[in-house]
Amino acid sequence: MGSETVKSRGGRSLRRLLDRESSLGIILMLPGALLLIIFMAYPFFLGIWLSLTDSVIGEMGDFIGFRNYTDLLGDSIFHQTARNTLIYALVTVPFKAMLGLGLAMVLSNRMRFSNPIRAAVMMPWIVPTALSTLGWFMILDPVFSPISWLLRSLGVIKQNINFLGDPILAISSVCLVNIWRGIPFFGITILAGLQAVPQELHEAAAIDGANAWHRFIHITIPTIRGVVLIAALLSIIWTFADFQLIYILTKGGPANTTHIFGTYAYQIGLSATDIGQGAAIALYMFPILAVFAILLLMYLRRD
Amino acid sequence: MKDKKRERRGKISRREFLKAGVVGLGMAAMGGLTEKAFGAPAVIKGTKLTILQGTYFIAPGQDLYKKQALEWGQANGVQVSADFLNWPDLQPKIAAAIQGGGVDIVELWPGWNYLYEKSLVDVTDMAQEFGKRGGGFEPYVLNSAPVKGRFLGIPHGYNNNSINYRISWLKEAGCPNAEDGNKVELTWDQYHAIAKKCKAAGHPFGQALGHSTGDPPGFCYPYMWAHGGMEVSKDGKSIQFNKPEFVDGMRKFIQAWKDGYDETGTSWDDSNNNRAFLSGQIASTVNASSIYFAAKKDKPELAKDIHHMLFPKGPAGRFYWLESRTFAILKNSKNIAGAKEFLKWWFQDKQYGDWWRIQEGYMLQPVKKYYNDPTWFKDPKMSPFREEPKYGINQGYAGPPNQRAALAWSKYIVVDTFAKAVQSGDAKASIEWGAEQLKRIYRV
Repeated sequence: MGSETVKSRGGRSLRRLLDRESSLGIILMLPGALLLIIFMAYPFFLGIWLSLTDSVIGEMGDFIGFRNYTDLLGDSIFHQTARNTLIYALVTVPFKAMLGLGLAMVLSNRMRFSNPIRAAVMMPWIVPTALSTLGWFMILDPVFSPISWLLRSLGVIKQNINFLGDPILAISSVCLVNIWRGIPFFGITILAGLQAVPQELHEAAAIDGANAWHRFIHITIPTIRGVVLIAALLSIIWTFADFQLIYILTKGGPANTTHIFGTYAYQIGLSATDIGQGAAIALYMFPILAVFAILLLMYLRRD
Repeated sequence: MKDKKRERRGKISRREFLKAGVVGLGMAAMGGLTEKAFGAPAVIKGTKLTILQGTYFIAPGQDLYKKQALEWGQANGVQVSADFLNWPDLQPKIAAAIQGGGVDIVELWPGWNYLYEKSLVDVTDMAQEFGKRGGGFEPYVLNSAPVKGRFLGIPHGYNNNSINYRISWLKEAGCPNAEDGNKVELTWDQYHAIAKKCKAAGHPFGQALGHSTGDPPGFCYPYMWAHGGMEVSKDGKSIQFNKPEFVDGMRKFIQAWKDGYDETGTSWDDSNNNRAFLSGQIASTVNASSIYFAAKKDKPELAKDIHHMLFPKGPAGRFYWLESRTFAILKNSKNIAGAKEFLKWWFQDKQYGDWWRIQEGYMLQPVKKYYNDPTWFKDPKMSPFREEPKYGINQGYAGPPNQRAALAWSKYIVVDTFAKAVQSGDAKASIEWGAEQLKRIYRV
């Protein structure tokens, strides 16, 4: 009898807890928060701690303050890595945005098989990066590249194109692959934005004598500006933190001309076992990414 | 009482001894399985053993290793898994295993025994026993495998690496004795003069200079040493990289690169030159004998036209970057006993010998007795490799092999110096860049 009373009391208090919006919110949030703490916050803070130590693989080091960070400032490979990362992240985005916009304009037109076509253009984005990059690795092969073979057969070139071995061509090639992979994301995001543009606006403008170009500039662009901005900021953040594409194509070579923060951190932290300095390299990305993330959040809040 | 029982459990009763004897004799009669079934204590039964190593360019070697490991596992009730990884992926996987566990035995490339010193089990006794049975270790092994006098892995040799060339094309270019690589004696200057003629005839030489762990350092370190360059002095206190004779050697290489090499080599990894050679695109390259083996299997006509020669000499002599790989046990392994038993068994003459011989000279001998093994005399095209250990020195030479040298190797400093030089055409600036990086690494 007594235990039943306790049970019913327990049930009542649980119900009260679930009924109250504030406590229910916390309960529902807990699993997500727990996952974030274990898989995001813990590695992040561990990374910060490691970057402040002289740890190597297999041995927790001592606290050395900001020495890993200051050491990197005198490292010419790190300077090159920072330059490469900026080029890789910032140069590719305008191309992705412009080509993505073009793709979205084409896809927004009603045509036969538009749904399968829309799905197909997403392929570079959907296929695992490692897999699609392997395809590019073969296309850009220094000896067996089909592009070189074709151009040689046509008599356009005499020697194979050194896509991944020449400093300028190497960084251009990895940017090209990144653009190829990123276009569908912009395309589909902008397409969603385009579909939100009320048709009446276009019709009214057409009646007023606006041609297609004017309608594009004065109606379409202002409407999708927000979507493009969000896609661009997200793309910059992802590209800054990229790793797979470069690792598969060049491993940062030749002579470090394609190293970006992710690959250099990997080389120093895991290959050269200097995990403290590897963490410092990766964390140099943090303030830059934080700026873009804050810009993104500010924009979203304003809207 | 319990202790007594435990003591008795540890001892073998007469009945058990007889049983084991009968079973043992039976197995020996069935094909010499004695070593496979015995020698491992019952305590490892039911355990798991994970082995991580680099993928083999000689497939039968990999197949045999896997077979041996599984047979040992079955005979001893141990669940063995042997994983083979691409060479550039091996080190990060080992690093992850050291941090996170899950692996028992790892194959270490030269220098890694220094990098992971504190995470490896001391196996000095087992290594010395293997060395003693083999008539002593080769000097290159003694120079590289022990860390501060202790073996942290058992040395199993290193793959051969030398000049692979097309007999007919080098003959056309005027290489003396090209038909027999054992008799070819060249300097680097002569080698590059031949390269120039070959490239003019449409068959350039090929050399990988990308971020890869085999052929790029396999060429760059020996060329540097042959031209008087070295990373650090013998006492490890001063950088000896930016030397006029090395700058001069690099200038010659830059010119040779334009005149005689396939210039896309700056992005080649360990497999590009194999494919280029096998498809008839290049006349000569620095590589292991894997090209020759692949040709023997799939392109016998091409194999007839392939030979190997020792590295050419430079003003400072002839050198090879040669250090031993080792099989090591991770300290965080949950089955150190099983790992030790497996390695003890695998390094027996039968297992190791079978594994070494099936690779037909691809693996260089870690112990002296294999120098006179009939394997070396089966095919005269493999004989040049037999002499390679005589010229082998360690990364970080003239200093000792240590963590700093391994760090410089992992950061591709020497390889990138060469890549920078051929890209920029400026030997001095590239070597100055390399020297600056080495100063940071060696903290001098």
